[in-house]
Amino acid sequence: MLRNIILKTLRDRRRSLLFWGLGFVVLAAIIIAFYPVIRDATFITEYLESFPEEFMALFAGEITDYASAEGFLNGELFFLMYPLLMLVFSIGFGSGAIAGEEERRTLDLLLSNPLNRWRLVMEKFAAMVICTLLLAIVFWATLAIGGAIADMGLNLLRLAAVCFSGFLLAIAYGTVALAVGCSRGKRGLSMGVSGALGVYGYMLNALAPLIDWLEPFQVASPFYYYIDANPLSNGLDPLHAAVLIGLTIFFLVIAIATFERRDVAV
Amino acid sequence: MTDNECVIHTEGLTKLYGKQRGILDIDLDIERGEVFGYLGPNGAGKTTTIRTLLHFIFPTRGRASIFGLDIKQNSLETRRRIGYLPGELEVYDNLTGAELLEFLSHLRGGVDWQYVEELAARLDYDLSQRIKTLSHGNRQKVGLIQAFMNKPELLILDEPTIGLDPLMQQEFYRLIGEVKAEGRTVFLSSHIMPEVERVCDRVGIIREGQLIAVEDIDVLKARAIRRLEIRFATPVSPAQFSDIPGVRDVQVHDNILTCTVAGELDALVKAAAQYQVVNVISHEPSMEEIFLAYYNQEDDSAA
Repeated sequence: MLRNIILKTLRDRRRSLLFWGLGFVVLAAIIIAFYPVIRDATFITEYLESFPEEFMALFAGEITDYASAEGFLNGELFFLMYPLLMLVFSIGFGSGAIAGEEERRTLDLLLSNPLNRWRLVMEKFAAMVICTLLLAIVFWATLAIGGAIADMGLNLLRLAAVCFSGFLLAIAYGTVALAVGCSRGKRGLSMGVSGALGVYGYMLNALAPLIDWLEPFQVASPFYYYIDANPLSNGLDPLHAAVLIGLTIFFLVIAIATFERRDVAV
Repeated sequence: MTDNECVIHTEGLTKLYGKQRGILDIDLDIERGEVFGYLGPNGAGKTTTIRTLLHFIFPTRGRASIFGLDIKQNSLETRRRIGYLPGELEVYDNLTGAELLEFLSHLRGGVDWQYVEELAARLDYDLSQRIKTLSHGNRQKVGLIQAFMNKPELLILDEPTIGLDPLMQQEFYRLIGEVKAEGRTVFLSSHIMPEVERVCDRVGIIREGQLIAVEDIDVLKARAIRRLEIRFATPVSPAQFSDIPGVRDVQVHDNILTCTVAGELDALVKAAAQYQVVNVISHEPSMEEIFLAYYNQEDDSAA
């Protein structure tokens, strides 16, 4: 597990990854356990529909329909909870990737080896991609198994599409965090900036459909490209996925370019 | 001097941090096979120089080459041939020593593990201990092992003996001696004078970011100011000694003369020989005194 920086980073994250994975399993299991109750109790659906449209849109989006399994999962998990947790994980990872080593002062020893800076950033990025993807797969697998037990009739490929879409979103934000960490060397700053961008992105995407003057700006939110095409019902939208991948590449280039050109703090 | 013989070469190497001074116009030539001491108090710019050479920080102006390769263009190739011990070393302390060294060896394309174990044994270092639990001195040992383990052509060691107990310091000096015997080069920074005196061939003295002198260690010692105490059989007068060139602070109490002498002792000894000398006590100059002498000269010329 110490053959290279990717493996070393995975090794460092193994405990954190285990707890995150358990958390995702528990979350998925609890939500699915509620599904039969909510499906059969029409009064709950009616109760939820009695809320103002704005309120529901903010927390559950417009793709929610508690009568169907997909609508239920969209509202309960995929609109807010899943991307939120994925972002917390990836932003934490991205912020610490370079800036964490720098603040713990281990970067000098690392860079004294015959190792290009871009290579270091790429290996850290790869480790972030692997860990985040693992979480998405764990979440997908739990939902797939739970969905089968609860007889939700989910299309596993479409389920994979929305989990993967959330993974792409998380990587885009994680790469922003990586880039801020690479350019400024401050982990806290990186988490703050990326976290704030995450909240703005979410709010913009959730509120834009409800506010006339905001609506044209919805396409500026990464969250729009994650969920608006409703991948759980329609599969992955290649164009929307490409936007998220494009953002990731853009910020990865910025991360490398800034890190290559600056002094490393003592 | 050709690039081949010159392992480290800097020209006007300067690093400025805003208003705070880094290093200013450092010109250095370190030859292959020598042990070079980079001497100065904390904050003088030793670490800044080293981190510039390793390309962690970029010079404001000036240039530097290692093994004849420009540090900017060939940073990767130079680092491949350098063993480095950071000052105030921090390592991944969730690993054991063996794990850390294994990780670093992979980054360097492998090392002779037998040599790692030999180094560990010589430094009395337990490879199986988690680094978190180690004392400062033992952490320093794992830092030294990783610097030496590749048998690099050039060792750059930032304050290498900090935290080492005297026995381990001796072992470290032996290691440096072996490196030198194999024709490899050592650049070490220090603020500990006896250490430099013990292992270095040449010394560069840095102060407030400027290299104020580069001398052979013997020259440095010879230029040193010595304190001398001469006991005569009969009282003497100070006037006969205070005019001798290089002799200062002449004091006479009855038949005991004390003074400081810069450079050669010959004139003083010959003057003293006119009287019956009972005893001569010479205080061997410490590096502190040599160092202070240099600093004072600088102050004098500045004033």
